Amino acid sequence: MTRSWHVAALSLALLLLAGAAATAAEIDAKRLMNADKEAGNWLTYHGSYKSWHYSALADINTKNVGSLREAWSHVASRSVRGLQSYPLAADGVLYYSGSYNQVWALDGATGEVLWQYKQKLNEDLVAKQTHSPYNRGIALGYGNVYMGTLDGKLAAIDMKTGKVKWETKLVNSEKLTVGFTGAPLLVKDKVIVGAQGGEWPDRGPIFGVDANTGKQLWRFYTAGGEENNGDARNTWLNDSWRTGGGGGWMAGGYDPETNTVWWGTANPAPLYDWSGPDWKTAGARPGDNLYTTSVILLDPDTGKLKGYHQEVPHDAWDFDSATGEFIMLERGGKKYVVHPSKSGFVWVYDRNAKVQNVWRLIKNINFVQDIKPNGELVGRRDMTAGKHENLCPFIAGGMSWNMGSYNPKTGLLYKVGNEWCMDLEIVKTTPILEPMAQLNIGANFNITNPKGDKAHGHVSGRDPITGKLTWEVKFPEPPLASLLSTGGDLLFVPDPRGWLRAYDARTGKELWKHNNGQGHNGGIISYRAKGKQYIAVATGWGGLAGDDYPSFFGGVFAQMPKDSGVLKVFALP
Amino acid sequence: MADKPGPMQSGRHTPGTNDNPSTAPASPSATGPASDFDVNQLFASTCGWCHLKGGREAGKGPKLADTQLADGEIIARIRNGKPGQMPAFGSAFNDEQLKAIVGYIRGLKP
Repeated sequence: MTRSWHVAALSLALLLLAGAAATAAEIDAKRLMNADKEAGNWLTYHGSYKSWHYSALADINTKNVGSLREAWSHVASRSVRGLQSYPLAADGVLYYSGSYNQVWALDGATGEVLWQYKQKLNEDLVAKQTHSPYNRGIALGYGNVYMGTLDGKLAAIDMKTGKVKWETKLVNSEKLTVGFTGAPLLVKDKVIVGAQGGEWPDRGPIFGVDANTGKQLWRFYTAGGEENNGDARNTWLNDSWRTGGGGGWMAGGYDPETNTVWWGTANPAPLYDWSGPDWKTAGARPGDNLYTTSVILLDPDTGKLKGYHQEVPHDAWDFDSATGEFIMLERGGKKYVVHPSKSGFVWVYDRNAKVQNVWRLIKNINFVQDIKPNGELVGRRDMTAGKHENLCPFIAGGMSWNMGSYNPKTGLLYKVGNEWCMDLEIVKTTPILEPMAQLNIGANFNITNPKGDKAHGHVSGRDPITGKLTWEVKFPEPPLASLLSTGGDLLFVPDPRGWLRAYDARTGKELWKHNNGQGHNGGIISYRAKGKQYIAVATGWGGLAGDDYPSFFGGVFAQMPKDSGVLKVFALP
Repeated sequence: MADKPGPMQSGRHTPGTNDNPSTAPASPSATGPASDFDVNQLFASTCGWCHLKGGREAGKGPKLADTQLADGEIIARIRNGKPGQMPAFGSAFNDEQLKAIVGYIRGLKP
């Protein structure tokens, strides 16, 4: 390529980008509030505040999906642990993040790179982190791309130029080892972002930051709350809240009608307590351990706790509630919030977090005998120090952090379920805080097959309120990527072996598949660019749950790269 | 839904207590001599996440029992890590503690 051609191409790209920006309205509170009405865009991590992960686009549909072809792709450099992020699309431009806090803006129709951003990181710190260096998503608004960084900052990057506008240090990652990997959520003029937690001896804060200036406005500690704001330190005896874990490592949701942020919180630390049935008075962290493994309702303007429901009081199994989306639904004149959880159960709330129903997505659950429709746990399996067999599900969860999809045309919630179990030996441990904070697990363990069955996964279409099954497709290994359903009556399922499959969303009949060459462990969206519908999916393997696949499932996973990431984009010819 | 988290405000937290977790007492195992250093506990808190059954089986990380790595190679891997696979523990452990970890690995039985 000659220099003059290169300059001309760059000028054209900037011109096109400037043109797009000139004709498109700024992404602000009002536009985000109505994101579900913009079928051609995907403006926020969950698609819209309804968190449906659904595209109304129907150009690609059950009748023509057989002709779907790869349109273009983009290789994400330095993709250690694959590509776990969720692309966003705005006015013909596609934005996505990758490992080591890189961000790209691409022409949505051609894949031409408009700009590339690489966060300046403390690489010595990143090398010390276990749940790193992946990034799971970004937020758009007010001319910025917002991203939480591995070293504890929130960064605002100019959507047009890819230059950083501001950075705000929120977490002392050098002390606590953890930072941010989850996507921020833009609510009105605030950016809400939750820190990693759970496995580490910290308190898992969630922050509210001014979207324009970067000023930190509020903080809420998920382990114990804040003085004068939901102070719950008395639910952690022996001051165990100090090293309690918690966190909010995935993007939460927002209910504009009540001006309430819903955020799922992570597990307490150590993950496995040795208290046994005496957990209210004995063990590593006696008490309910609020607000871990909970859904919390926050005022986005002040960070004030408006309410909560602790899905698993004193979680002793690492089945935290940080994983699930908050699906806003209306059914029969009633308004619901549906929240799937790592435990394998799906909680159905009213808009004030009062439990309306709880149903099972998976079969292999024995950490409790059951959870009643009112949310009460029955027959807890609280363990003491020593060996225990056949605890279900496995620590990676009955559902992982990958998102499901709700399709308003079929009325079905599509979700991946994981059928697997574990043996473990619980060991009394002491949190290690210096010179670097270390994991605080509390057990040695290994993955196992469920009794009388083989570990596997499934994707099902169910009624989101009752859990009634319409169809289910089994997979030899649990898929670990997010799902997409569309107005074309399609459900796209990116699987671990590398196949992207399209199903009839009403029947579960497979209609199309394409091998992307490596496993999927990220997001998938649909958008429109220059009048054409596209499907964009993150490919790349090596996430924490998938790390167990080579040793347990073997097969293609033994040789699958863990440092490769490619964004693949599909369209009709 | 708990509209008011009032009952929790009467908790056992003492006003004025420093709520910075970084000031909580550190484990003596992190900096103390090898004699106080419980490697079994270390595996259950940190290493066992990847090296299953205390290092007896492969998981996210390799099986450590019967490793072919020399002692120096094991120590180098603990200190330096491996990007995307193992964190670098750098100066988290002193020489005596590193020797204790190697001793634990050498002593692993199936």
